[in-house]
Amino acid sequence: MYIKLEAISKAYGGLWAVDRISMDIGRDEFISLLGPSGSGKTTLLRTIAGLERPTRGRVLIDGADVTALPPHRRGVAMVFQEFLLFPHRTVAENLCFPLQMMKMPRAEIAERLKWIAGLMALTGLEDRYPSQLSGGQQQRVALGRGLVGRPKALLLDEPLANLDRELRQEMEVEIRRHQRELGIPFIYVTHNQEEAMSMSDRIAVIRGGRVEDFAGRAAIYDRPRTAFIAQFIGRSNRFEGTVSPDGSAMDAGGGLRLALVPGARTASFAGSRAQAYIKTEKMSVQPNTVTCRIRDIILRGAYCDYLLDAGGREIFASRPRSEADLARGDRVTVSWPAEAVDIFEPDTPRELAA
Amino acid sequence: MTETSTMVPHVPAAGGRRLPAPRILLRTGALCLVTAMVYVFLYLPIIHIGLGSASRNTNFPYPPHWAFKAYADLFANALYRTALGNSILLGLGSAVLTVTMSTMAMIGVLRFAGRHARIFILLFVAPLFVAEVLVGISSLVLSGLFLGLPGNLFSAMLANSVHCFAYALLIMATQLYRYDWRLDEAAMVFGATPAQTFWLVTLPLIWPGLLGAFLISFILSFNNLEISFYLLGATPTLPSVAWGALRYGVKPELFALATLVNLTVLAGLAGMYVAMARGWAKFGHRPERGAAVG
Repeated sequence: MYIKLEAISKAYGGLWAVDRISMDIGRDEFISLLGPSGSGKTTLLRTIAGLERPTRGRVLIDGADVTALPPHRRGVAMVFQEFLLFPHRTVAENLCFPLQMMKMPRAEIAERLKWIAGLMALTGLEDRYPSQLSGGQQQRVALGRGLVGRPKALLLDEPLANLDRELRQEMEVEIRRHQRELGIPFIYVTHNQEEAMSMSDRIAVIRGGRVEDFAGRAAIYDRPRTAFIAQFIGRSNRFEGTVSPDGSAMDAGGGLRLALVPGARTASFAGSRAQAYIKTEKMSVQPNTVTCRIRDIILRGAYCDYLLDAGGREIFASRPRSEADLARGDRVTVSWPAEAVDIFEPDTPRELAA
Repeated sequence: MTETSTMVPHVPAAGGRRLPAPRILLRTGALCLVTAMVYVFLYLPIIHIGLGSASRNTNFPYPPHWAFKAYADLFANALYRTALGNSILLGLGSAVLTVTMSTMAMIGVLRFAGRHARIFILLFVAPLFVAEVLVGISSLVLSGLFLGLPGNLFSAMLANSVHCFAYALLIMATQLYRYDWRLDEAAMVFGATPAQTFWLVTLPLIWPGLLGAFLISFILSFNNLEISFYLLGATPTLPSVAWGALRYGVKPELFALATLVNLTVLAGLAGMYVAMARGWAKFGHRPERGAAVG
């Protein structure tokens, strides 16, 4: 593996911001560290960059132990949330900074500058100062400065958080394309699951300084390993109840019975209390039956969210808008395949407090 | 506009309450008068010295009888030249020392002191409230008796730095509080050593503060008498020569010298003003976050 994190821990004033995190990252992988704020994902990224020294554990890049190396000797680059462009340097001077630090010959620097300015669509803006650029252009300079030196890895700390939605989606595609073309690992910290989903090969969901799961993005979305991931990724309906002794269904109360996929996982819950999550878009909504009433319809562009009233219980269902012509107050039936039910042990009081 | 006035006839068309012309004149006149008085208050002592230096009736040059003998005497007298040179040396020396110390101190406080920062700053600034004469006397005791330093320019530089440190620290604080230290992190991630980070990123962004601290320290030490007096030994500086002259009657050469110093400063300021207005020089980088284009 190209980048190896071995049991990284970082203590801050008696608390573990990062708690024994180990990860293996391949040479051409796009990895996202996804978690709520304060989960330790940024601390982990800064540890890889060398801006934080881990309390315990080792960082290996390309086989070399860099744990004790200062940031300027690690050969990685970073894109920051606030861009952190040097305000007294022009676009060209910002882009060339890493090359100058490498003591690259002048002719080669000029060549690289031309290449990166073209790649980042910054040609013609080289003599501007960062304060004279739009947010998207500043973002491109920050990204270009990260890539121009062909680092061993590019670390991105919520780089799109300050951009508006349209620009963000554009940049997501662009960032992913650069990662493919350059063939270096990108490690991307975000609290935005859409960003993580759209770009990553694998996603590490981080919570409370620990990795909840580190797996391919489809697996993270479709087969959440923990209840936290199930409710953090995508939007889900949550049910709580008791699983039948044969493990074939869960009684969620109020006459609601959730059929479960038979298997080892559901069998382990047989006869005990459990919580289940169903993603809102896995619900289907059909007219002319009487199970639910539509309490509200929230338009979200291409799809809409139905807020359903099932005997006093609120259920969310997301469907494409074109699917059916329904109105508030309509009676509908809602259903989902048994495979859509992800089942977990109930929340313990400690987890509720967290 | 016409629509508005037809609908609401009582509101004057031009908007805002207009004063009648005589009252505007009165108001502007009063403002000019007050401003002029403030400038007279500030500049009268300096003008007095200037007139005195270029006049035969030095002590009360109203009206002045023009004569430039004082200037001729000044250039003939080696003492004043030595004193000026010493004062400049003293100012430069303690300014360099002070700026270096106060910058390092402020960076240290801001970056590494954490929640104790206030205590450190308070302790750094507290010497402001010690009378300069006392700083001078105690510095004399310290360098003379304990360190065995003879009274000379160097020990005066040290003692003046003690006094200037707090001023310089406050100036550096205003500059460094606004500095985003994450820029240093960015520089280091992109391969800059700590020294390169300072020279290429930190310094270009904080130098207006350094310049301000340097100027203040220079001026304070250049003009200082109370502290320098005890530590200079037999070395003459401008304030010490002036002080000495006072006891034997103020000589017009002194007025001439003060006038020349004032004119030099004025010329320097005028030069800076022109350079900035013409865009030849920029004093400090102003991040214009709000002014993003496109």
